[in-house]
Amino acid sequence: MNKRNRRDISGGAGNGGIRKSDFQSMSSGKAKIWEEEQDAGGGGGVDELLAVLGYKVKCSEMNDVADKLEQLEMVMGAAPNLLCDTVHYNPSDLSGWLQSMLSELNNPPNTLNYRMLQSHHIDDPLHVRAESSSVTTNPQQQQFETTQSARIYDDDSEYDLRAIPGSAAYPQTQDGELNRKRLKTSGGSNSAPPLLPSSSPIVGVAAAGTVSEPTRSIVLVDSHETGVQLVHTLMACAEAVQQDNLKLADALVKRVELLAASQAGAMGKVATYFAEALARRIYKIYPQDCLDASSSDILQMHFYETCPYLKFAHFTANQAILEAFATASKVHVIDFGLKQGMQWPALIQALALRPGGPPAFRLTGIGPPQADNMDALQQVGWKLAQLAEAIGVEFQFRGFVANSLADIDPSMVDVRPDEAVAVNSVFELHPMLARPGAIDKVLSSIKSMKPKIFTIVEQEANHNGPFFVERFNEALHYYSSLFDSLEGSGLVPPTQDLLMSEVYLGEQICNVVASDGADRVERHETLTQWRARMGMAGFEPVHLGSNAFRQASMLLALFAGGNGYRVEENNGCLMLGWHTRPLIATSAWQLIVSDSP
Amino acid sequence: MAGINEVNRNESKMVVPLNTWVLISNFKLAYNLLRRPDGTFNRHLAEFLDRKVPANATPVDGVFSFDVFINRSTSLLSRIYRPAHGEEPQINIADLEKPVTAEVVPVIIFFHGGSFAHSSANSTIYDTLCRRLVGICKAVVVSVNYRRAPENRYPCAYDDGWAALNWVNSRTWLQSKDSKVHIYLAGDSSGGNIVHHVALQAVESNIEVLGNILLNPMFGGEERTESEKRFDGKYFVTIRDRDWYWRAFLPEGEDRDHPACNPFGPKGKILEGIKFPKSLVVVAGLDLIQDWQLDYVKGLEKAGQKVKLLYLEKATIGFYLLPNNNHFYTVMDEISAFVDSNC
Repeated sequence: MNKRNRRDISGGAGNGGIRKSDFQSMSSGKAKIWEEEQDAGGGGGVDELLAVLGYKVKCSEMNDVADKLEQLEMVMGAAPNLLCDTVHYNPSDLSGWLQSMLSELNNPPNTLNYRMLQSHHIDDPLHVRAESSSVTTNPQQQQFETTQSARIYDDDSEYDLRAIPGSAAYPQTQDGELNRKRLKTSGGSNSAPPLLPSSSPIVGVAAAGTVSEPTRSIVLVDSHETGVQLVHTLMACAEAVQQDNLKLADALVKRVELLAASQAGAMGKVATYFAEALARRIYKIYPQDCLDASSSDILQMHFYETCPYLKFAHFTANQAILEAFATASKVHVIDFGLKQGMQWPALIQALALRPGGPPAFRLTGIGPPQADNMDALQQVGWKLAQLAEAIGVEFQFRGFVANSLADIDPSMVDVRPDEAVAVNSVFELHPMLARPGAIDKVLSSIKSMKPKIFTIVEQEANHNGPFFVERFNEALHYYSSLFDSLEGSGLVPPTQDLLMSEVYLGEQICNVVASDGADRVERHETLTQWRARMGMAGFEPVHLGSNAFRQASMLLALFAGGNGYRVEENNGCLMLGWHTRPLIATSAWQLIVSDSP
Repeated sequence: MAGINEVNRNESKMVVPLNTWVLISNFKLAYNLLRRPDGTFNRHLAEFLDRKVPANATPVDGVFSFDVFINRSTSLLSRIYRPAHGEEPQINIADLEKPVTAEVVPVIIFFHGGSFAHSSANSTIYDTLCRRLVGICKAVVVSVNYRRAPENRYPCAYDDGWAALNWVNSRTWLQSKDSKVHIYLAGDSSGGNIVHHVALQAVESNIEVLGNILLNPMFGGEERTESEKRFDGKYFVTIRDRDWYWRAFLPEGEDRDHPACNPFGPKGKILEGIKFPKSLVVVAGLDLIQDWQLDYVKGLEKAGQKVKLLYLEKATIGFYLLPNNNHFYTVMDEISAFVDSNC
């Protein structure tokens, strides 16, 4: 019965003996992508079998990786607790992960010497320097360690989280208690995660133009009869719309509205929004140039309060920014969508706590023109200035009104040579995909700002496919999960925040389904797609590590009862999802530094 | 002593392909970082390090998957894997729970391993394994995301398994032409242990389970067996880590002769005379707990239950994770025959 090819299967690639029919290794796109990179970079391929399981190991490196494992085992065997407080990065890159632990062990904790972290940019003067990270104390102990000028950030997440604005952040705490915590922490020990850009040449770049087949991740919430019928009908309606069978589409959309009315819970709500959007498309009642900026900001505030997505976005982006700013005395954040500035109080507070004192902090906030003549940007800037002053951070603010990020001229932004720059975009990049050339212009502008770090948060979904039905289905799955998570917040009766959050999401649904061309701005794309784009534009990833992961998880427990929300690590990026469905992704980037001196 | 360690490392390296050695050693290293001597577990780091993969309703190599709530209130999820019958490139959300069409469709309820503490239904290693099972058995696979130790001790994992069994048994869309759901239970390591206990409960409640598949099942006891002593630390696993996981899973104060750990031990249940499902038990010859697994097989035999032992002399733990060794194919063939023979 065994007609398998029994080639020698020891050592090396281990590809022997694979029976094609049933056991064809599922490349799932990953191995192919990594292999293509390698061919481009001139190395060997990655081990396909390990790639399928989520680990990138070049065949040529297998022995070296094995050696590292052995070395680590030897050391760990002798002293098992040596690595218990290490910060880890990108576990998919086995070689890099192992190497970082070995480097850590070679510089044991309690030595305060500076060292250059191992990477292939080792001689590059622009390469980030950071200190050894191991903390021997745990946050409970709060021991004080003498610090040198540029130190590392404490993993005492309790403080960081409380700096997050929003009523939920201050459950029953008096200000007094908050101040006490603040004082306690400022005397505390600090440990920084060493900033480890990918030490392996395998970055998350897909070969030009190719993205593996889309993954449709579905968590079935509602198996109930009506729920299934509702979905059937919605999809049939979308199909009819695509085929321009408007009479049928009309009949179906009315049926959906009927069914949705009797469907309790998230499914009913989502269906209603999708039905409305479909109706607009059918009757060609395109949304008037949507809400004005201030109304849209207000809706987003409600969304911010109701569920943890934005808090997660801000938190994880801030983590990356803090790490990038670890040694800078002057920092400049350029926020592509200032809105109410909710992201910045926590960053300002964290900077205030930096041992050795805070840097001078400049914030450039960009926003769309406001309907009324009130200078919304300045108002936000002023509030932040007050906060900064209260806690002793030198602060400057500048606001820019722009219709589109593509209109921004980098010279306007006034980037100064002696400052570390962070560019931050939370849900602001995908609208650039609505006009040809806009995204390239924006990325090019960003490059000329020479940022130390560029943080991006985007929806984890492909709502930008060329076919209507495909987009519709994707969006249906995505928003179903989102609405379900809102439902999961268990607010009964639903609060104003919850209702407004639904409206906020409903606006997005409407845009994805009913709009087209330059009006369709909710052109969400997946992390995989953004990675490809960023790679081609000349950026490389900066990884978020286990400390950010852990704190983000704790944030969820604090703000969301932790209930169905999950943080996931994905090749150095962090994603927040509802149960097993990732919904938003945070990634961080820096300019690719050339190898030549 | 450095010398002996040298020998140990070389031994395990000699019996598995290098990439397998790297994979399992990587897990071993990661797991060492997660277990704390005081019995607590670094869950955040565990979730950070675990490689996961989302469900995918787009068929890949003939299999698509989606996640369902078995129990909304406890957030008990399972990942369902179904064969795509070469039809459309996309499965409609409305078709995910479309009734199965073949005369007989085996439904395999799968419990992933991880010594009760590690991994999830969406861990990549288990997603990959479940997809294979769909292919070789032409089955629907339901992978249960049971609650894990030490946060959730005995009997949580069993309760979740039991809930999943009931859920599967009551899905009309999973029924074969005879209006019955043809259920098999399968699992590796702690999953194998769960299989046994869920099957027991099934028997007691008159739910028919057609077969149990136990891959390197996790059993133990107070006694230190010959194999434990002989293989301690030699092939990725130590007695010490086994003890840690039992302490994390068993109720506080219980020892390893608790029936969850030692089903045929002094506190075990009598299986004579009951209609227990036939079992396929796979034992790796280099697994340090093999004596307990072999005792399990003997226990079933003595109780007059139908059991087939597949003893793979040179196999280590985790051999079924990569399709690069003969044991892998042997086991897949056996599983295929085991599930198939019951039409």
